[in-house]
Amino acid sequence: MRSIQRRLSLGLISVLLIIGLVLAQISLWLFEVGLQRYLESGLRNDSELLLVAIVRGPNGLQLDEHRLSPGYQRPYSGHYFRIDFDGGHWRSRSLWDLELPQPESAGLHADLELAKSKQSLLLLHNEYRKFGQKISITVAQDYTPVQASFVLVQRIGLALGLAALILILILQRVTVRRALRPLDRAREQIFQLQQGQRSQLDDEVPLELEPLVAQINHLLAHTEDSLKRSRNALGNLGHALKTPLAVLMSLAEGQKLEQHPQVRALLRGQLHQIQQRLERELNRARLSGDALPGARFDCDSELPGLFSTLRMIHGEHLELNNRVPPGRVLPWDREDILELLGNLLDNACKWADSSVSLGISLESTGYCLLVDDDGPGIPDDQREEVLGRGNRLDEQVNGHGLGLGIVKDIVESWGGRIRLLDSAMGGLQVRIDLPERTGHSSAD
Amino acid sequence: MRLLLVEDNVPLADELISTLGRQGYAVDWLADGRDAIHQGASEPYDLIVLDLGLPGIPGLEVLNKWRADGLSTPVLILTARGSWAERIEGLKAGADDYLTKPFHPEELQLRIQALLRRARGLANQPKLEAAGLHLDEGRQCVSRDGEDIQLTAAEFRLLRYFMLHPEQILSKSHLAEHLYDGENERDSNVIEVHVNHLRRKLGRAVVETRRGQGYRFGGTGG
Repeated sequence: MRSIQRRLSLGLISVLLIIGLVLAQISLWLFEVGLQRYLESGLRNDSELLLVAIVRGPNGLQLDEHRLSPGYQRPYSGHYFRIDFDGGHWRSRSLWDLELPQPESAGLHADLELAKSKQSLLLLHNEYRKFGQKISITVAQDYTPVQASFVLVQRIGLALGLAALILILILQRVTVRRALRPLDRAREQIFQLQQGQRSQLDDEVPLELEPLVAQINHLLAHTEDSLKRSRNALGNLGHALKTPLAVLMSLAEGQKLEQHPQVRALLRGQLHQIQQRLERELNRARLSGDALPGARFDCDSELPGLFSTLRMIHGEHLELNNRVPPGRVLPWDREDILELLGNLLDNACKWADSSVSLGISLESTGYCLLVDDDGPGIPDDQREEVLGRGNRLDEQVNGHGLGLGIVKDIVESWGGRIRLLDSAMGGLQVRIDLPERTGHSSAD
Repeated sequence: MRLLLVEDNVPLADELISTLGRQGYAVDWLADGRDAIHQGASEPYDLIVLDLGLPGIPGLEVLNKWRADGLSTPVLILTARGSWAERIEGLKAGADDYLTKPFHPEELQLRIQALLRRARGLANQPKLEAAGLHLDEGRQCVSRDGEDIQLTAAEFRLLRYFMLHPEQILSKSHLAEHLYDGENERDSNVIEVHVNHLRRKLGRAVVETRRGQGYRFGGTGG
């Protein structure tokens, strides 16, 4: 999509250019026509004066030199004439050695060249009768200065036009930018929304944007609300299913089934399966994924609670190192992140000998979460298996099983990647790379 | 050891009461949060097992109220809501441990044992040790120098309480309060009988009588 700014500029430039050029050209042309008409009347006057200057002399027709204007005497003065009659012709002295071009027809002729002299002529050719003779008079005027001044005018006009165009463009840009500033702000806020730096758009916007912003805010609230509601419903469902399951599990271990070991084994197996499945699916359904753009996880305020919970569960003998730099904020849902880190760290604590550490770093492509322990680790060839799906594996590798399954679900829903590596602390390192959240999140 | 179980699901409560009873705990059961607030604070429980999904008042509020009133009894939360966010919330409210449903009865038993020992400041070990005696809570028998001595259920309860409170003077009424649930009759003569049984099995010196004060376990004579 092109930007509105560029589109407006392009439209404005082309309209202004076309209209400006057409207007300038037409007005120049009109002006030139008017000027020629004015000059034509001058030339007609000249030719009539010449006609008057023709007098009958002793040797037939004669040109009265005294009546000629001095312009015809100076060579190449820019004023020329030529008079043709039956007995010969007269040329003005100003023509010197040049020949005035002779048009075929009577009337005004522009753009004729005076040979060799680079003068462009405006030329009037007329036929008269005097003393019973046919006399044709051609008067011409050098048109070059006028043309030169026209070119000058054209240039000045062009420069002025260009300057005006630039000025208009700058003003337009400023105006448009000012008018579009709310849009820019909205765009900025949407970006912040994706980064988890805000949860709502500012609703102090111009009238035109109001419905859009209101709708986005409404959608955000709605999404958050429905996420909350569905989580609540899932919690209720879990509660409704798990409590009876707890009764059954307690029953399966109780004395009443002591006489029926097969029934007990069957019951245990099935209950275990139900529990695993239930846990996994409920957890997966709880994930918000990319649904909520305003989500954020503030490490400074959330991690201490998580660490003290882990310390309580696993006892004080473990050293839990929080290597997350202060002020780190992750742009994902709080509960999802807690679930992710809780399971990862819980696993690490189960396997660690004495210490576990968590690090979160910001890299060029996104976030990198590192959970290290100093436990036995997992051999290279089994790592793929541990990450693989399937309930059987969850049971096989107790501890690194179900928890990692949920972690994998979460990471996948964010388009991230999970890897099991060797830790510098001697045990397993779980490395999770999460891509930075952008506007066009994956559609799945 | 006297426990308060706050759980609104009757079948589960029944199961838990019988399992815990078999393990030698005196269990009082409540199904409503409002009753729990009152009773948890007024009776001398050693541990409270609290379900979070209660009618009346949510479990977390009950816990908050207890802690606000200065009740320091260890609380084990029992809940179907097992997400980490909820777990953290529960522990922030002042719970000491968190068990998600469905759970293995054995798991609950181990957590209760561990929590009771932790509350007494004892190290987390599989067997309870005091005054040269090792108590195996799973098998409900005691051993001294590798020699197993069988106990009745009542003796086991009494000895466990003694071993969790070594070298403290415990009056008969205090013992009766902590060994029997609210519905059983508390006859201090019964305590006397069981103390005598323990002395017969483990030697006279193991429990010392302080006239007018009560009993003292694991003193210099032990």
